[in-house]
Amino acid sequence: MKHRLSASTVTFVAAVLVVTGAAYAEDEKLVTSWGVPDLQGTWDYRSITPLERPAAFGDKATLTAEEAAELEEQRRQQRAARAASGVQDVDPSQGDVDVGYNSFWLDLGDKVSGTMRTSLIVDPPNGRLPKMTDGAIRRANERYALWGQPPAGPEERNSYERCIVGFNAGPPVTPGAYNNMMEIFQSRGYVAIMTEMINDHRVIPTDGREHVDESMRFWKGDSSGVWDGDTFVVTTKNYTEHTAYRGTGPNLVLTERFTRTGPDALLYEYTVDDPESFEAPWTSAIEMRRTDDPVLEYACHEGNRAMTLMLRGARHREQQGTAEDGKDWLASWYGGQNRVDAAQEALEAAKEEQDQQDP
Amino acid sequence: MHKHSLAVSLSAMLLLVVSAVVQAQDGAWEAPRTPDGNPDLNGIWQAMNSAHWDLEAHHARRTPVPAYGALGAIPAGLSVVEGGEIPYQDWALEQRNANRADWLNLDPAAKCFIPGIPRATYMPLPFQIVQTPKAVFFAYEWGGNSRPVRLDRPGTRAVLPSWMGYSLGHWEGDTLVVEVTDQVPDTWFDASGNFHSEELQVVERYTRTGPDSMHYEATITDPNVFTEPWTISMPLYRRLEENARLLEFKCIPLGGEDAAYGHLRRGATPE
Repeated sequence: MKHRLSASTVTFVAAVLVVTGAAYAEDEKLVTSWGVPDLQGTWDYRSITPLERPAAFGDKATLTAEEAAELEEQRRQQRAARAASGVQDVDPSQGDVDVGYNSFWLDLGDKVSGTMRTSLIVDPPNGRLPKMTDGAIRRANERYALWGQPPAGPEERNSYERCIVGFNAGPPVTPGAYNNMMEIFQSRGYVAIMTEMINDHRVIPTDGREHVDESMRFWKGDSSGVWDGDTFVVTTKNYTEHTAYRGTGPNLVLTERFTRTGPDALLYEYTVDDPESFEAPWTSAIEMRRTDDPVLEYACHEGNRAMTLMLRGARHREQQGTAEDGKDWLASWYGGQNRVDAAQEALEAAKEEQDQQDP
Repeated sequence: MHKHSLAVSLSAMLLLVVSAVVQAQDGAWEAPRTPDGNPDLNGIWQAMNSAHWDLEAHHARRTPVPAYGALGAIPAGLSVVEGGEIPYQDWALEQRNANRADWLNLDPAAKCFIPGIPRATYMPLPFQIVQTPKAVFFAYEWGGNSRPVRLDRPGTRAVLPSWMGYSLGHWEGDTLVVEVTDQVPDTWFDASGNFHSEELQVVERYTRTGPDSMHYEATITDPNVFTEPWTISMPLYRRLEENARLLEFKCIPLGGEDAAYGHLRRGATPE
């Protein structure tokens, strides 16, 4: 993947150094006792920088310090207004408590990424996700349609709700609603990443070893790393058919780049290369900040009352004879009833088209 | 890959030479050191016994799930408990026996819950140690669970109880001593109903005994459940495969959900 690193990413790295001003001087660089870059510490990847560039920014790729401060202030005011509104974090018009997270849970921080970009996506240059393939759109629609139904069992909910993988724990690691922390440990030959989200880890060899056999599939994929100057480059593949990051499929090849850019800064970039799902590779970057906050154990599965309640609710509706009415199962969490409706309509239209072609 | 194998063989040879020199000097095996001078515990390790089935002496027994045939049978094992038996208070022994009688429904590990300490150590899958001067990180293949042992925070307390507990380590000679506190009361010690309360305190000792082995010991104190502290011990072995690595064992979809939610599936008999 190294050879496919796009020119814009290279330009971007240079831009970061310019923007942050404080280049990491050669004699300040932290190295381990065996001579590789020291990435160790607890890293906070909360950010209000969106994955995709909001339309309002148009062609604007980077923020000035003033613009960043303004965005951060806006976000603080929104939060304060929401908190001041009392316990009504949940929109009562939904007639349900399906978006059960109030501000106690949400911990996205109030800072833009130190990269000072208008989006986490740095490539393509427009900061937007490339077009998804028809196959990936169909897969996504099938998932949404399924999630709009009362689940027969846990398999009909996604891997995050099942606590099999963490929604922001990766790979790739991405800012999410909460638990945006990871800690790195290093020993000769290994970089271990512990994510607070679901108490998970990756122990990544640094010898660039071959991946496990193609037939072996892991929920988190199989990661193998190598040092490239100051950067730890990790390639992850062999995902399961159920692992979906922003619509990716089992043949995603993910390349992550970890570069310490200062005593308290870790530049984290990743490239999603999955021609079966996206028409072009895309790259995202965030500057993580070092923190002294403790990483706590997030025992997701052990405390997964939500799954029990969802299944119990589904069985209750079946007993009441109302299960069939419902396309509205926890719909808003996934973009609302409209998203589920759109998914179901798209699937029906595709089926009709298929039937016409193949009578 | 050739380059890699060569590097591995060269470092292996170097290690042999170093060990030979050390042995020649004082006749006793001495643990290799990390760059900061402590015994090197890095590697992929695994217990090789049936303690995860039952810490105490047990003869082989039938599987409670006949569909597995002989493949599901529980193997015999000698006791890993010093003195043979766990010193339960009378009520607690009754509780243990009741747990055992309804083991498959009650064992938290059947649901893929975090096994806690010491059980995580002797689950039948490897774990990897990544050792740094400030922390010893334990990555367990079983369930993908994680535990940092902190060497740089003596005297601190857990913010909250947790399934893995709060682990503070220090070196006593060549032994890594880990004091584990603040575990939730929900974990068991094995698949035979052996249990504890929220007062559990575990002191673990990890000591290298050879190039590919380690001695493991855990002393368990819980005045709510036991009449006195008791100790388990066992060797841990290095995984020697040339390409040894932690693999993925996400037990939630591998049966954990069946144990946790099976009664709530569509078509299941209502509670």
